[in-house]
Amino acid sequence: MAARQLLIGIDVGGTFTDVLCYEAESRTLLPAKVPSIPGGQWRGVLDALDALGIDKGDITAFVHGTTIATNALLERKGAKTGLVTTEGFRDVIEIGRTRRLVGGLFDIKFQRAQPIAERDARVEVPERTLADGSVERDVAGHDFTDIVARFRALGVESVAICFLNAYVNDATERAAAAALAQLMPETPITTSAAIVRERGEYERFSTATLNAYLTPVMRGYLDTLAGELAQSGVAAPVNIMGSNGGAMTLERAAGFVAGTFLSGPVGGVNGALRIAELAGIEDCITFDMGGTSTDVALVAGRQPRISHTNQVDAYPLQVPQLDIHTIGAGGGSILWVQSDGTLEVGPRSAGALPGPACYGRGGTDATISDANLLLGRLPTNRALSGGLMLDHPAAERAFQAPLAALSDAGADPVHLADGAIRIAVAKMAGAVREVSVHRGFDPRDFTLLGFGGAGPMHVMLVADELAMARAIVPRYPGHLSALGQLLADHRHDFVRAWGGRLGDLAVADLAAHLAEMRAEGEVLLAAEGIAADAMRHQASVDMRYAGQSFTLAVPWDEADTEWGPLRAAFDARHGETFGYADGGSEVEIVNLRLISLGLVERIELAFRAEAAGDPVRERRPVWFDDGFVDCPVLDRDRLTAGAAFDGPAIVEEAGGTTVVPPGWRVTVHASGALDCRRMPGDDTC
Amino acid sequence: MRDLVRLELIRESLIAVVNEMRANVIHSSYSSVLYEGHDFSCALMTADGRQIAQSLDDHPIHIFAVPYSTVEVARAFEGDIHPGDIFLHNDPYTGGTHLNDILMLFPVFHAGRPAIFTAVRCHWGDVGGMTPGSLSGRVNEIIQEGIRITPTRICHKGVMNEAFLGLMFNNMRTKAERMGDFNTMLGTTRKAAEHLERLFDRFGGDALLAGIEELITRSEAQMRAHIAALPDGEHFAEGYIESTGPTPEPLYARLKLIIDGDEITADFTGSSPQTAGPTNIGPSMAINSLGTIVKSFLDPTTPINHGSFAPLTVVAPEGSFTNARYPAPCGAMAEVKHLLDALVAGALGEAVPEMKIGDHKGGANHTYISGPEPTGEGIYLLYEWPAGGTGGTEGVDGNHAMRFYTEGDFSSLHAAEVVESRFPLRIERSELREGSCGDGRFRGGLGMRREVRLLGETAVLSVVSEKNVIPPYGTDGGGNGAGNRFTVVRDGAVLEPSPVPGKISGFKLQPGDVVREESSGGGGFGDPLERATDRVARDLRLGYLDAVQAEARYGVVVDAAGEIDPARTEARRAELRAARVHLTLAAANEDEFAGPKRTCRLPTALARRLGVAGGQMIELRVAHGPGVRGWVEIDEAADGERLPLGPAGMAMLKAAPGDQIEVRAVARSPVVGGEA
Repeated sequence: MAARQLLIGIDVGGTFTDVLCYEAESRTLLPAKVPSIPGGQWRGVLDALDALGIDKGDITAFVHGTTIATNALLERKGAKTGLVTTEGFRDVIEIGRTRRLVGGLFDIKFQRAQPIAERDARVEVPERTLADGSVERDVAGHDFTDIVARFRALGVESVAICFLNAYVNDATERAAAAALAQLMPETPITTSAAIVRERGEYERFSTATLNAYLTPVMRGYLDTLAGELAQSGVAAPVNIMGSNGGAMTLERAAGFVAGTFLSGPVGGVNGALRIAELAGIEDCITFDMGGTSTDVALVAGRQPRISHTNQVDAYPLQVPQLDIHTIGAGGGSILWVQSDGTLEVGPRSAGALPGPACYGRGGTDATISDANLLLGRLPTNRALSGGLMLDHPAAERAFQAPLAALSDAGADPVHLADGAIRIAVAKMAGAVREVSVHRGFDPRDFTLLGFGGAGPMHVMLVADELAMARAIVPRYPGHLSALGQLLADHRHDFVRAWGGRLGDLAVADLAAHLAEMRAEGEVLLAAEGIAADAMRHQASVDMRYAGQSFTLAVPWDEADTEWGPLRAAFDARHGETFGYADGGSEVEIVNLRLISLGLVERIELAFRAEAAGDPVRERRPVWFDDGFVDCPVLDRDRLTAGAAFDGPAIVEEAGGTTVVPPGWRVTVHASGALDCRRMPGDDTC
Repeated sequence: MRDLVRLELIRESLIAVVNEMRANVIHSSYSSVLYEGHDFSCALMTADGRQIAQSLDDHPIHIFAVPYSTVEVARAFEGDIHPGDIFLHNDPYTGGTHLNDILMLFPVFHAGRPAIFTAVRCHWGDVGGMTPGSLSGRVNEIIQEGIRITPTRICHKGVMNEAFLGLMFNNMRTKAERMGDFNTMLGTTRKAAEHLERLFDRFGGDALLAGIEELITRSEAQMRAHIAALPDGEHFAEGYIESTGPTPEPLYARLKLIIDGDEITADFTGSSPQTAGPTNIGPSMAINSLGTIVKSFLDPTTPINHGSFAPLTVVAPEGSFTNARYPAPCGAMAEVKHLLDALVAGALGEAVPEMKIGDHKGGANHTYISGPEPTGEGIYLLYEWPAGGTGGTEGVDGNHAMRFYTEGDFSSLHAAEVVESRFPLRIERSELREGSCGDGRFRGGLGMRREVRLLGETAVLSVVSEKNVIPPYGTDGGGNGAGNRFTVVRDGAVLEPSPVPGKISGFKLQPGDVVREESSGGGGFGDPLERATDRVARDLRLGYLDAVQAEARYGVVVDAAGEIDPARTEARRAELRAARVHLTLAAANEDEFAGPKRTCRLPTALARRLGVAGGQMIELRVAHGPGVRGWVEIDEAADGERLPLGPAGMAMLKAAPGDQIEVRAVARSPVVGGEA
């Protein structure tokens, strides 16, 4: 093994590629940030590694968060996709459940998203598997040459095979895949039950079709990346972050693209989780505010919530993902005046280009970043990281148009900027309520963890809005996603539709199914180089009262030999979640779930003050509440562990500015994080 | 400035309250129609019953009914509303929709007076009455549809009226489920009230209420500006409920829409009297249609509050089926509401041409298949309401089998895999109904076809559906969509399960029978002969149309390789255009009706030219709007070239005597060369 052990986490965003390198010996982190290269994500990855100035041969682990799947879908740049399905069900992915899925009420001109596989590339075969798993019409002996000829004529590059009831028995799907693979060996094939083992044909077919659509793009990217990395001297295996918050190998990612849509954002949640652990926090809400959007997730008892029923764009996606709520508001969100004369912020954003007006790249719209500049919260006399000098007059000019549209003669740019921030903060608070109050949690019981480019600037304002008493801003807040990638355990989620009324089921049958699922997990983890003693498995069952539709996941203790404890756990959880339990009614099991984890070594972070000297860089007027106040500006590199100060204050570092409003007290945690607590007596909500 | 920011913060906060209410109902309710069907609405109302906030995810059918009911409750208990009071309501004659939709109102106080009501209206799976589920096509008085709750205080100063609640629940089926839904509503309105009290603290009560008034005032000013930008004028439309349920006799609805300055009035005078069947609506529903369509046409994106609807007035004569009174049943109110929507859309389209849109399935398409559980314990019920194609409109083809723009975004189908694992049924197919679109320059969307095979011993089929006889209209020269159709296939033969199409009650199924549900295609927009040929080529490539249909309906001719032949296409389009039948309009003193049906007298020769027989329907087509439809009466004395039309018909067509007008048959299915 090399003398220096380096672990690399890389997060590719729309604007920047962030890399974080952990040096095991010194237990310290080294960040770098380079521009992302549209159409060549792998180049950004190589540039970022170069920017670190490390010996690439010393890298021992490498985890990558990628937006390849999301970008290719949004830009509709996936492969020409063919679908093979059961007779009578060719149009399932076009009809769906007849919902619009993305708004559309009152919208006469609404146009539904086009199906991922076009109708002429969807073919039926005389196959029928029944709900009990028996095969009424088999595909054995079916001649697929006509289908292949059709697919070739249409230029089909990837195929999904989706048969009805394959969630019970996928023998016919596998047989059809084998037959097709003989005839078109160069074409990737996705079978629906291999991706989703749950009931509900629309959601499963949609997920499988998306997977097929994006497989060639992901394969091409990963092949290029692996080749380039190897050539540049990286010998460590490359892993890809999955939407479930765990890492997986390149090979697995290439076959399971549907599991990578949140590859980037989950890094932030993972990173935040580790920071919370280091700070001894059990329950937190992550607040990742970037340029165009903000991702919020709730972590209770250090367990991020998982969502099983998801949607990407207008397409259902039935794979487990961390439950991350995204709203279209960020630092680049634009302030405007609505037709009824009221103010609004977003959802339009200045994006990466031209960006906020103050970036001086041709942007003319007033954005949240411009507002922060006018309020003195961003520097005008020093460059931000990346050498960007902010242009104050440009920001001021940008506010002229909305000012003119208001019929308020007394208004001025600074008051308008203050209003814009307040409205944006109200929206952020709404997102936090969405993941907390809407799911039965009180945000006041949680710590708000702010990161991303714009998170630290707003985290305490949002906490104030929600009467949350504590906030954390991690070191290198712009790199927290990369930290999360670097920390990720390997993880595979399995689900199997199995169940019935509890009284009709045998514990031994459940155990047998779980054992099979566990063996599947062990094979995948072993292939990823995980040692047997680092493997962990967590089983749970989806349950409900007979007659209900929604299910609750209840952990299954493998030591149990009867249903009693499970039943009691379900009643208790139902009571907590919905406010009542019905101990007298029948209970059903609907699905079995297993999470197989391959644990990687926990890293420790040592504090490192970058520079010595007085942390107060300067004092400047910064707007809080009703006017400008004289405010210290601190250099985060000079803050040492244990240091404490009160708001109002601004803390600057490369890649992030933290705004500490009056009423907050900050101590610097041993991990380098700013631990911020609202002082009593200022309950503004 | 501060005020404007505060105003926006107040608006955000109020919408947050409503969104939280929604989440609460979905996650805690016990009826599938709520947690999966999302058939409910949450709203905040002023003390005098004006809408403060409702989310864009809520069901628009409730947007106006809730304020109307709130006004009635506020009036009934004026000066007598106290903290701890809770009110219940479902009476269609005082603002309700149908009896299944139960409204709960919870007052929130400021300065000792009721200031805001938190409101939840939920569809309860059963409210008593003569059939399980309470809705039936066979009723003839509202008593048969369940328990009717006029404005009622169910909780007085914190003390529940257990006697009333006991009586109510004891008169409903699956009582435990109902009590669960009741508790959901109670919890939701209460939590919302607590949330509002926090907002009173935060903004200050007077400031919050002033902000609410300001938001309503601004919405009103904006809607008035939108209306004022339209030319003043009067526009007319008429249409039919195709059958009342028990009988095949239609109901007639007439609309005069008046745009005057910054106000709009919809006058339904002249519509049929209320009927003994379920197709009636109470006084809150006609304004619902007007409001929904005006909002969609003029201001679809801004948040909803009462101000937008202040400039709107409805005249619906009491005792007509557009404003019915006791004892008219109102179970099929959705069907009537869709008809009035279509009338308002047609008339308002005359003033807002870019928003004109073909009609759609015209009601809910309730389909129930029910039989004994294979275990012998109780019965199972498969309830679906298949969506149809949406209408074509300028620039945009309709969508296939999708919820319409005036409908909440519900699932209308269950997963076939769920159906097959729970019930003794098999879904044989679930697919697009090829060729069912209304033709047009922008065509309507396709309907869908679903086939359900009975595996068990016995079962019954019930359906409540419109547009089985009178299909969805096309507009601006567009063709009508194929009508809804519900049949049973037994041993390869297609059976009509009811003498009144679309109104099926308890048809007995035999093992192996296949229920075939076919939903309507959307109406087309514009002349199909002007449809861009590349769009037709795409429809052909994707199999939405076949080559025979493309040629007969669009005049597009393809060669053996499937490529469009431009020369033959041009020629074919010219032929089709030349084959259209044009008649000269002649003034009649009165519009001629046989009962509710507009009649057109034609001699046999002309009827033959049009391909219709007596008792069938024709339509008079114009380049703007949906035109006029009527039933053919064969009269050899009638003129073969001139068509008499009364003043109402002339007004609808905006035509004058002497004008040439295209006339054609209204086909239940526009399909040629095969069964749609």
